[in-house]
Amino acid sequence: MAASSNSVAAVDVGGTFTDIAAWDAGTGSLRTHKLLTTTRDPSQAIVEGLRSTAVGVSAVVHGTTLVTNSLIERRGATVGLITTDGYRDVLEIGNELRYDTFDLALRRPAPLVPRVRRSVVPERIDAAGTEVQPLDLEAVACAGQRLIEMGADAIAVCFINSFAEPSHERAAVKQLSEAHPEVAVCGSAEVSGEVREYERFSTATANAYVQPLMSRFLDGLGRRLEVPLFLVLSDGTIAGVPEVVRHPILMVESGPAAGAMAVVHKARELGWPAVIGLDMGGTTAKISLVHDGVAQTAHSLEVARLDRFKKGSGLPLRLPTVELIEIGAGGGSVAHVDQLGLLKVGPRSAGAEPGPACYGLGGLEPTVTDADLVLGYVSPEGLVGGRVPLDRAEAITALGRIGDALGLSAEDTAAGIVDVVSTQMATAARIHLAEHGRDPRRYRLVAFGGAGPVHAHAVARTLGVNEILFPADAGIASALGMLVAPRGVERVRSYRCLLERVDWDHASDLLADLEQAARSVLREARVDDADVEVRVALDMRYAGQGHELTIATNRDALARRDEKALRTAFEIEYRRRYGLALGGMPIEVVSWRVNVKGPPVLEVANATRKPAAGADRPKKRRAFFRDGGGFIEIPVWIRQDLRVGNVVAGPALIEEETTTIVVAPGWDAELDDIGNVLMRSTP
Amino acid sequence: MDPVSLEIIWQRLTAVADEAATTLVRTSFSPIMRESNDLSCVIFDTRANAIAEDTIGIPSFNMTLGRTLRHILRARPAGEWRPGDVMVTNDPWIGAGHLPDATVIAPVFHEGALLAWVGSIGHQVDVGGSGWSADATEIYEEGLRLTPVLLRRGGVLNADVIELIRANVRLPDRLLGDLLAQVSAGEVASERLVELVEDAELPDLEAVSDQMSSLTERSMRAAITKIPDGTYRATLDLDGTDTEEIRVQVSVNVAGDALHVDYAGSSPQVRQGLNCVINYTEAYTCYPLKCVLDPTTPRNEGSYRPIRVTAPEGSIVNPRFPAAVNARHLVGHCLGGLVYQALAPVMPDRVIAESGSAPTMRAVISGQRDDGSRFSTILFINGGMGAGADHDGLSATCFPSNVISGSMEMVESLAPLRMWRKELAVDSGGPGRFRGGLGQVVEVELLGSQECTLSFFVERRSHPARGVLGGLDGSPAVVEWNGRHDGYRFKGRNRMRPGDRLVLRYPGGGGYGDPRERPVQLVRADAHAGFVSAAVARESYGRVVE
Repeated sequence: MAASSNSVAAVDVGGTFTDIAAWDAGTGSLRTHKLLTTTRDPSQAIVEGLRSTAVGVSAVVHGTTLVTNSLIERRGATVGLITTDGYRDVLEIGNELRYDTFDLALRRPAPLVPRVRRSVVPERIDAAGTEVQPLDLEAVACAGQRLIEMGADAIAVCFINSFAEPSHERAAVKQLSEAHPEVAVCGSAEVSGEVREYERFSTATANAYVQPLMSRFLDGLGRRLEVPLFLVLSDGTIAGVPEVVRHPILMVESGPAAGAMAVVHKARELGWPAVIGLDMGGTTAKISLVHDGVAQTAHSLEVARLDRFKKGSGLPLRLPTVELIEIGAGGGSVAHVDQLGLLKVGPRSAGAEPGPACYGLGGLEPTVTDADLVLGYVSPEGLVGGRVPLDRAEAITALGRIGDALGLSAEDTAAGIVDVVSTQMATAARIHLAEHGRDPRRYRLVAFGGAGPVHAHAVARTLGVNEILFPADAGIASALGMLVAPRGVERVRSYRCLLERVDWDHASDLLADLEQAARSVLREARVDDADVEVRVALDMRYAGQGHELTIATNRDALARRDEKALRTAFEIEYRRRYGLALGGMPIEVVSWRVNVKGPPVLEVANATRKPAAGADRPKKRRAFFRDGGGFIEIPVWIRQDLRVGNVVAGPALIEEETTTIVVAPGWDAELDDIGNVLMRSTP
Repeated sequence: MDPVSLEIIWQRLTAVADEAATTLVRTSFSPIMRESNDLSCVIFDTRANAIAEDTIGIPSFNMTLGRTLRHILRARPAGEWRPGDVMVTNDPWIGAGHLPDATVIAPVFHEGALLAWVGSIGHQVDVGGSGWSADATEIYEEGLRLTPVLLRRGGVLNADVIELIRANVRLPDRLLGDLLAQVSAGEVASERLVELVEDAELPDLEAVSDQMSSLTERSMRAAITKIPDGTYRATLDLDGTDTEEIRVQVSVNVAGDALHVDYAGSSPQVRQGLNCVINYTEAYTCYPLKCVLDPTTPRNEGSYRPIRVTAPEGSIVNPRFPAAVNARHLVGHCLGGLVYQALAPVMPDRVIAESGSAPTMRAVISGQRDDGSRFSTILFINGGMGAGADHDGLSATCFPSNVISGSMEMVESLAPLRMWRKELAVDSGGPGRFRGGLGQVVEVELLGSQECTLSFFVERRSHPARGVLGGLDGSPAVVEWNGRHDGYRFKGRNRMRPGDRLVLRYPGGGGYGDPRERPVQLVRADAHAGFVSAAVARESYGRVVE
């Protein structure tokens, strides 16, 4: 593929579609292409799609759901585990919690490595990092040999307290890699340098589990592309291929992170300081937060849950990730009447088949989409982008079925479904914000996905949010988000100590090591050392607590060993979150983080859209608004035909290719000069 | 109210309770509060009926909160409360059954009128006295007892009470930090409730509360009706105190849509901290019943109305003041399994066998590090859960309590202990058509040069978790101290010396159904993984495996 010097393509591979956006910095133009994902070999659609954009690109930035899917579908490597004598069952025992307290038949996810492939070897390091018992390398060799004979093509080496001193793990990894170069081998502290064995072992085995698959995939893709390849990590930063070959698990949330980056992109474009992203699709709604142009991240997540919406039913991973709250509220979510006679929506979804009743594919249960159709929000002709007629009669029948049990008409049932599903999203967002000690009224909303723009106004109303943005095309916003994301990486190591007793020489050595490791990762991602920005953060808590707050600091404060400044910074954040600080209580540091960032692969300017000069005479349709007194006739605009600056006063609808924006009474919508629709609540 | 509006209000009320509980988990110091979720937040209407409960904490606690609130309102009627008042108590007979559990109650006012009550329970890190141990003979030895007192009056902290608390506990900053965390949780709930009624334009929460309770009550009654009428009995023998065994007898009477659980015939109260006050007896009877009767509906006042729990005064499950009660979970946690034994013939597809993790075996090790600083470590480690009609019991899982096991790396980093081993125990699960969950083997060594205190809570040494409907018992609890199996207190404090090694075998859960009916491929899989030995496969399951 011919490379022009100044253009970059973003490739977002999802379960169904592969989205490609190629940005030509020379001309400032953007070309996009969408094609079906080639599941067996995703690189096929990528290469084909890039060819179709007909722009020679000099680099490709890639986000994918490949890693998470291989964990969910359990089609990764045959992994062997070598661990400390006495700790064979860490992965199986887990944290011992019943994640549903009323379900006596609860199941736990099977460990990625069954007991027969978990071997123990004599060795021991203590919590301070001192050797208690030397590593028996002969035992390591025997265990490795035995695991490979059992079919292992990847091995995770997970020793107790390796976060404090990884030398035993490193020695074992080195020996195994040399003896078996064909097998992927990783050590737990190398993948996740933090205290708590279950989470670290789980992260390392998941890494080993996806390593062979990802190596093969990246190797094949790299050869076919012939231009530098960059990858989107779970926390929304961009890394080069070598880092992902070592730590493929860092890409586990690569796909959803790309979605959150659409929100980041829009927040930056408009200069909004605090944004809630609401991506409501067919089966779920995902809520993300963006502060000052940076997506809210977390240090841990769960994958491959047995019950998608139950925390604790999946495999824990300890790695930096964009924080997404996912709830079972999408267009396909099924409404039903529960045992108490109350109206419930989701988390079960009708999926694509049979889908909502109005698809006419045999679905009998009413869904959110059926309610949206009956209330007039969604056109019976279907979406602009693919006019498939929707069957209102089927929707009414399905709604009537549960309406009878509720004592409500089909229309009132529909309105009820919309109210319930909006409350669910608003409640999830509110609890999530509360966990971070934040007030929703200071936020603005960016809403997208097939059902997001339909329900955004109700969610905003409940949260007290007054301004909503609907991006022109979320897929492209994601791709742009990937293009503007910084290249970066985070390295972390636990060293727990009271703040007043920190051995600062040890701490600065530790930070220097982390920084050096992080910088070398950025070098692999073609970042000049001079362009690297280094940030240091400490996970701190009051001694005795179990939850840490991550406190950003700088190297100057650390160089000065300014304990007082660190204490103050911690107490400010603590007070912000919890409303009070406990002056005088000793504070301890648990983990030390170094985050390095470089520039994005290419600087991308705002993609200005040519305003359309379309029809300004809307169609009319009847739609339901509680505030408007029921069903009323309202104007229906087509988004592509809107003119910049035209104000659409609610109640009204704006239809677009993949969704409908509901402009409820009390809201005004307007097209801005870069193609966004902005909706504000009128005073 | 229509079923849509009610659903929305219900969701929001539950979210309020959850937000309060989240605040409490994140700000608490007590490891048992945050690691075991040993806490609870409940919202009540003005008449002290529970409206909504959090979904994070220990479910059985929620029930005792209502009892506590009623008791407090008898002593201090609603009319005497002002905004900003907060009351605290840890009296076992009023609250949650032992001194470490503090209940904090506050009124919520809206436009000058009482709108609701919010309450929380949190397990405190220390309340003075004998510390967390089972060997006191009377409540007076067990620590500071706060009968309901105002912790805050009109928004101003009560300095006298705080001074009194400070003077009587080992870690005053942490205890007060935790009590204030409970106060903050109440404030969060209070603000949200006011927002909610303003948003929804509700005059009060009374009508909503009545409607919610009548729905849950109807649901619980419908579930009870499905059980054939009759009286179902079972008996449980426990190791008991250091000197005498304890017997608990239950009769479950089902009459139409009401259920009465009575513990007549149970042993009298004992002079050691195993006595289980009636609040706790009731809570740990009702929660396991809810799991088998009506597990999926949310709980509030209505869920409890159809169930009555009684026990003779002066018995182990309804002791008189001033009995020692600190380790009341050693008896209380076993009640669910006992009730299931009674109901097994009429609810064979719902009940599970007894759990090796009921009661949870605990070892609390506390003392001084070599640098003179204090430490106190609770080993949160669980035995196996009982098997059910269509599933093996979960290994290493707590029921009816729900305790997260801490990280052993964290234990080692916080205390002078070396955790040499923590693994599943072979053959510990009770054989059955469905096997009981496996217990664990844990090996601990005390490091450093200081002697320390080891407080044991060990039950099920002679009375392992029983199987049900033909299933066999799980393995018993076994303690090995420097190779010795006795000569120390299993329910009390001991001195531990540097270099001492403990091997703790956490019991397995009971099996369900005849083990000879277990499909051969499951027996083979267990043997292959090393969960079941060839000998047990042959003797209990009647299968020959490699």
